[in-house]
Amino acid sequence: MTAALREAPAFPAGVATLELRKLDKRFAGTHALKAVSLSFMPGEVHAIVGENGAGKSTLIKLLTGVHLKTSGSILWQGREVEFSGPQDALALGINAVHQEVVLCPHLTVAANIFLGDEDTRFGLLRKREMNRRAQEILDGLGFHLPAAAMLSDLTIGQQQLVATARAASRGTRFLVFDEPTGYLTRAETDQLFALIRRLHGEGVTIIYISHRMEEIFQIADRVSVLRDGQLIGTHVVAETNERDLIREMVNRPLDEIHHKEVIPLGETLLEVTGLSGPGFQDVSLKVRRGEIVGLYGLIGAGRSEFVQCLFGRTHKTAGDVKLRGKPVEFRREADAIESGIVLLPESRRDQGLCLNLPVGFNLNLPVFHKISVAGLIQPGEERGRSDKQMRDLRIVAASRGVDALTLSGGNQQKIVIGKWLNHGADLFIFDEPTVGVDVGTKAEIYKLMAVLLRAGAGIILISSYLPEVYDLGDTLHVFRKGRLTASFPHKRVDHETILAEAIGT
Amino acid sequence: MADLAIAAKPRRGLRFGFLLNLTLLGLLLLMWAVLSATTESFMTANNIVNLLRQASLWAIIAIGQTFVIITGGIDLSVGAVVGLSSTVVALLLKADVPIWAAVFLTLCLGPVIGGFHAFGILKLGLPPFIMTLATLTAFRGIGLLMTNGATISGFPPDFTGFSRLSLLGIPSLFWIVILVAIPSYVLLHHSRWGRYIYAVGSNAEAARLSGVHIARTIYLAYILSATLACLAGVLTASRIAIGVATTGEGWELQSIASSVIGGTSLFGAVGSITGPLLGSMLLTTINNGANLLNVNPFWQRIITGFLIIAIVFFDQLRRRKKR
Repeated sequence: MTAALREAPAFPAGVATLELRKLDKRFAGTHALKAVSLSFMPGEVHAIVGENGAGKSTLIKLLTGVHLKTSGSILWQGREVEFSGPQDALALGINAVHQEVVLCPHLTVAANIFLGDEDTRFGLLRKREMNRRAQEILDGLGFHLPAAAMLSDLTIGQQQLVATARAASRGTRFLVFDEPTGYLTRAETDQLFALIRRLHGEGVTIIYISHRMEEIFQIADRVSVLRDGQLIGTHVVAETNERDLIREMVNRPLDEIHHKEVIPLGETLLEVTGLSGPGFQDVSLKVRRGEIVGLYGLIGAGRSEFVQCLFGRTHKTAGDVKLRGKPVEFRREADAIESGIVLLPESRRDQGLCLNLPVGFNLNLPVFHKISVAGLIQPGEERGRSDKQMRDLRIVAASRGVDALTLSGGNQQKIVIGKWLNHGADLFIFDEPTVGVDVGTKAEIYKLMAVLLRAGAGIILISSYLPEVYDLGDTLHVFRKGRLTASFPHKRVDHETILAEAIGT
Repeated sequence: MADLAIAAKPRRGLRFGFLLNLTLLGLLLLMWAVLSATTESFMTANNIVNLLRQASLWAIIAIGQTFVIITGGIDLSVGAVVGLSSTVVALLLKADVPIWAAVFLTLCLGPVIGGFHAFGILKLGLPPFIMTLATLTAFRGIGLLMTNGATISGFPPDFTGFSRLSLLGIPSLFWIVILVAIPSYVLLHHSRWGRYIYAVGSNAEAARLSGVHIARTIYLAYILSATLACLAGVLTASRIAIGVATTGEGWELQSIASSVIGGTSLFGAVGSITGPLLGSMLLTTINNGANLLNVNPFWQRIITGFLIIAIVFFDQLRRRKKR
């Protein structure tokens, strides 16, 4: 295997290893990738940057055959290829190393490296031989890892290196790294970079996706910027700088207007001081009546963890929460709901809805105790309340009796909102409320927020889409690595400053 | 969710449940008609009463099982609980405890057993399948240990006489089913706790984030299942006039089959009280009919098996269409 890797593949000079021509991908309701044309040359390290949702993941999934393209073409060494699944991409030598390790934790490092390609004699595994060869591969790559150890005994970073070794040992011609350094220590990152430089020297084409600008300038030859599914530009790294890249990442057409009303701010509703919990530390912030407090950050920055703790889903380890001036302590979600805090969670399907139950059921789930007498549900109340929400929010469904899963994403999101309007609250926490929601419904959701604010509620809005929190947030807090690192009043600074703060340059 | 059925437009889920129930009822009537035509002994008062008595015992545990399955769990211990409770009530009666007290004390086992199941699932983090599989074997062992494997007989005549009573031509055991089914129906379909049982089975995380107390709901379901199994154990002891620790062997599968044939989904959040009633009646009829027709009794098991495959297959088909 290592031998195959050392024979630098002799590509015809000037022909791209992989070329994309007007590659297009549509999902139901979203246009994820818009006619992207891009060439990856032999032996280059090509970085791809963009905000969350810019289309990087979609692009990678198309290249590795996980998703099928909608239109356009993919050329491998000048010849057009059609992928019908990941095995087609693998057969050409296209491999990917993902941020989340997808290996078997209960097998040894060697077994993982050779998984699917085991060395056998008379149908039996040659374990010793595989351990020896795996150790050779690891040593050859400069990774100091024991081949006979269980994968689960290694740190996440070490597992990441094993995944990289696995990909590198398979005659790879084209290797994609998707945020590979997320869990790596400095030393591990250096080992990884040494490997990338070596593969680079052997003519392997490398795609490198990262939010960390300094890494891109350290390792990449060229960099392409994606924004809203479009390719904005490709630059030679030596001829560009961080500031310009970030500007390209965030610059947007002006036709996106987020509905925002001027609402006078009232008394302080929520005051959080030095709150720490699982996934975040030392967060302090205030929410006033009539105010939208935006929380921006990269995925995994600790925003969702913070609000889950605020809502009683997890328990705090330090700090204080005051609601309407009084200290509160939530042992469970029901306590938070009772005191007037509600959470509209990030994932409708996993956290927000009982999908195989009716719309009406979902709308009334938080209020069944309010609409029952001696434990028995009052049918008139149940019907009336769900019909009111369906009417007010214009939820499009055949009736309140159809299951929630039959509705579109936008209408499902309206159910999640409707069930909390049905219950009523002072503080609404919206966690990514407009993901996977069509433009029309988005506008409705923003108008609805204004209605809530006028009625004296406060809102915490989490979004990974900067323009949304930027335009809507009266105060904008930036999270990075579990901490609240910066706060800005409404539109005081530009997008670039905020994104730079979130990335941490 | 009968109240939702009044909606102007028909509910797909309910319509399907209703159709399934109607189909099962049709199947049941068809089987009865065929059996009355082909055998002389089916449509005799004696046989019908016998049929109803056996179906009653299965229906009671199947109702309890249905609560558990709707939460997305399973209770494999119900057969063993039937065996254990029939020996406990037998030992109490032999110790000259008054009948009412013996029955009451035995029924009190239900909350203890069900509570233990819920504790194991929630606090120890065991999957329901494993938790109740473990107690299935443990409870059989306890019953055998208490009786040393012996059969206990010689109950007061009032106790054994109960299961032979009839009121308005309907056997007393079937009256008990009615007494169990009506409150169960109200609880599952018309109370907030019933709604929570569905919510936990559909998406426990969403239910939790909506303020539903997940633990209480799980406790409720397993306690109901165990208590109804205890009730079935007491009634079985009365019916067969002996207490044996091995009573109710395989009844866990009968209860699951009754529930599933009646339209309960093992994935949770789908099911009703009429389902297990019809399901248990159907299974009993297959048993009874096979006996009367002199079909090799082993065929009953095969037929039951394929019936489950067919019904669950159609259930899956419906799900796939909806997505």
